[in-house]
Amino acid sequence: MPPWSDFEPFIVSGLALGGVYALSGVGLVVLYRATGVLYLAFGAVGAMGALVAWSLINKAGTPGWVGWLACIAVAAALTFGYGLIFGPALARRDPLVKAVATIGLTLILYGAMDLLWTTSGGQARSLALPTDNGGFAIAQIQVTWTQVIALAAGVVITVATGMFLRYTKLGTAMRAMANDREITATLGVPVRKVEAAAWLGCGVLAGIAGLLLADLVALDATTLTFLVISSLAAVLIARLRSIAVTFAAAIVVGLLHDLLTPVTSLTNYRDMTPFVLAAAALLVMPRRRVMTQSREEA
Amino acid sequence: MRAHRTALLAAVIALAAAGCSSSSNSSSTGSTNTSTAASSSAPAGTSSASTSATGTSACGTKPGVAATGTPIALGAIATNQPGTSFTDIPNMANAYFACVNANGGINGHPIKLYIETEQTNPGQIAADAKQLVQTDHVVGIIGNTSIIECSIDSSYWQKLGYYIIDSGIAPECYSTPNSAAVNMGPRYSSDGAVQYALSQHVSKVVFDQSNVPGTGYIGAGPAALAKAANVPIVQLTENVPITDANSVAIKEVDDAGPNGAVVLNFTPPEALIILQAAQKLGLENRVKLWGCSTPCNTDFLAQSLGPKWNNKLFVNAELTPPDGTSTTTMNLYKAILSQYGKAVQGGIGSFSQMGFTEAEIAVHALETITGDYTVASVNAAFKAVSNFDTGMLCQLWTYGSYPLHIPNNEDYTVTPNNGQMTTAQGCTPISSVDPQIAQYRSAAGTAAAAPAS
Repeated sequence: MPPWSDFEPFIVSGLALGGVYALSGVGLVVLYRATGVLYLAFGAVGAMGALVAWSLINKAGTPGWVGWLACIAVAAALTFGYGLIFGPALARRDPLVKAVATIGLTLILYGAMDLLWTTSGGQARSLALPTDNGGFAIAQIQVTWTQVIALAAGVVITVATGMFLRYTKLGTAMRAMANDREITATLGVPVRKVEAAAWLGCGVLAGIAGLLLADLVALDATTLTFLVISSLAAVLIARLRSIAVTFAAAIVVGLLHDLLTPVTSLTNYRDMTPFVLAAAALLVMPRRRVMTQSREEA
Repeated sequence: MRAHRTALLAAVIALAAAGCSSSSNSSSTGSTNTSTAASSSAPAGTSSASTSATGTSACGTKPGVAATGTPIALGAIATNQPGTSFTDIPNMANAYFACVNANGGINGHPIKLYIETEQTNPGQIAADAKQLVQTDHVVGIIGNTSIIECSIDSSYWQKLGYYIIDSGIAPECYSTPNSAAVNMGPRYSSDGAVQYALSQHVSKVVFDQSNVPGTGYIGAGPAALAKAANVPIVQLTENVPITDANSVAIKEVDDAGPNGAVVLNFTPPEALIILQAAQKLGLENRVKLWGCSTPCNTDFLAQSLGPKWNNKLFVNAELTPPDGTSTTTMNLYKAILSQYGKAVQGGIGSFSQMGFTEAEIAVHALETITGDYTVASVNAAFKAVSNFDTGMLCQLWTYGSYPLHIPNNEDYTVTPNNGQMTTAQGCTPISSVDPQIAQYRSAAGTAAAAPAS
């Protein structure tokens, strides 16, 4: 086992990675709680937005802030458009069907990105934010303001969304609709408008996440599209319900993942961390508790 | 609640599917070289060293006269999948052939290149080979660039008597009698990067590469070089796509130490992720130098990294650096790319240089044939290519009758310089300490250096 000093830098990097997982995971849970859809295209729409931003900044020469806003706008428009077109048709379908339908969107976007922003010929891209240039050092590791913002964004989004869903009329309507769309509609809630708001909000979150992750992880369609899979571990640990637990689980997953890096015998297996933790959580968390929670929420 | 449980199940399935797929992506194909070499015995006017601009008409023997004879069918197989596309190589070869066809062809015959793409599926790759032979009736294979094609089709080509001119990745591209590559491939390119680091007297080498099939084969070369230099080497592998670049960079730097070197063997996007993470964490100066195999040799990477990596990152380069090189061959390459290379998405760079080089070797060979263009005559001509000056490589290129082929075994080293890769070290032979290189030189000898331009 390496000395403790060897682990210190990985606490910093682990928190950053946890923040990355949290950004995606929180977005997934928000939309699920609002619409009942497990939105697996979350990463792909963020990636698409980030690549559009890259093109605007590097090819069209627009100012950085225009590109950043475009990233959020593209992700929001794609998600909103998908929700508007396919949301009503899928509303009465099984959640599994709804989730698989978003995989369809993922693959379409992934193919389009591969076509439009090819990696053929050794092409590599990056999207740097001005906040990369400042920061402070911990354990001989430079921490950028972008990493701090990402972690803070996770906290802010978690708190704000939790309060929104709990205390606002629209949030209450979203929660009610996620549980039973039909009953909610009979109560006079304008379900189409509520769903549209949920999709739009999720799209904005995907855009923000895409922008930050393009800087923190990579501006690469494959990486950003499938990053959401690792975030699913945190979502599963939170049972697709608690935004706060999702955030905490994401941080734990990121920390544990990186703390395994200096352990020679385990370093090659560290990428299994999210999946092992998710499986363990599903096995350990008592089934009865889930049922109880479900009844309470129903 | 039933709905909620189903959604939970969907998430579990997605997670499990991701877990099963593990790592993907490729390693390198690498190739980018630099040379001050000019072309020489080139067939259709690609030779000689001159700094004058070259029009595309120089690619053929009858400028402006379109070839109208019976087409000579050639074939190529290239990987083309999300995140990994090598189609620029056969597409550039095709651009060269289009130029030749527009300027007299091969004794009046145009060349038709059939390009098959594959997604790292052995069954599909075997079917592609049969498609080319049995349906398209190709008489030669040139431009192959695939992660596993050499491994799958090698025995098939040997059985039918095809002698492939390709850009290699898999071990069989270099270790069999029927494949000769214009590039070094990931192993020898990594050798070159590690060799440069050792020449700078580093105290330790950390060699990190994608966790894909063949890492043991690739790592054996750098391990042999480090052992011979009595320098400890740590070998790491990373699952790709990399999502935890920070921890990867920290581990590399910690393992290498302040007087050590970190040498990467990844595709450009993955290498960029690691190098940018190192930069953001302030780690770039915590080791003596960083190295990278050929895939890093792109201006895309140099532009994305910025000036902090000038003379800090040293990249193996297998082909003449196009930036600032103005030989006749290089000018012809750029002119053909401009006029005929619409399908070459990466533009100027090592991949298109490889396609150009393979095509010019093929054209040179085809022009030596006096009779019919058959499988026997074309492959005999390919095999007979000897001491050909491509204008793109350090050495003269030879196919020959050898049990293995590593005809490109001298490299350049380049470093980022304000958004471009510039030469840091000229042509340097890959050390024979690598047993494969020693075996090749034992069989084929050491090729002569290409004439300086």
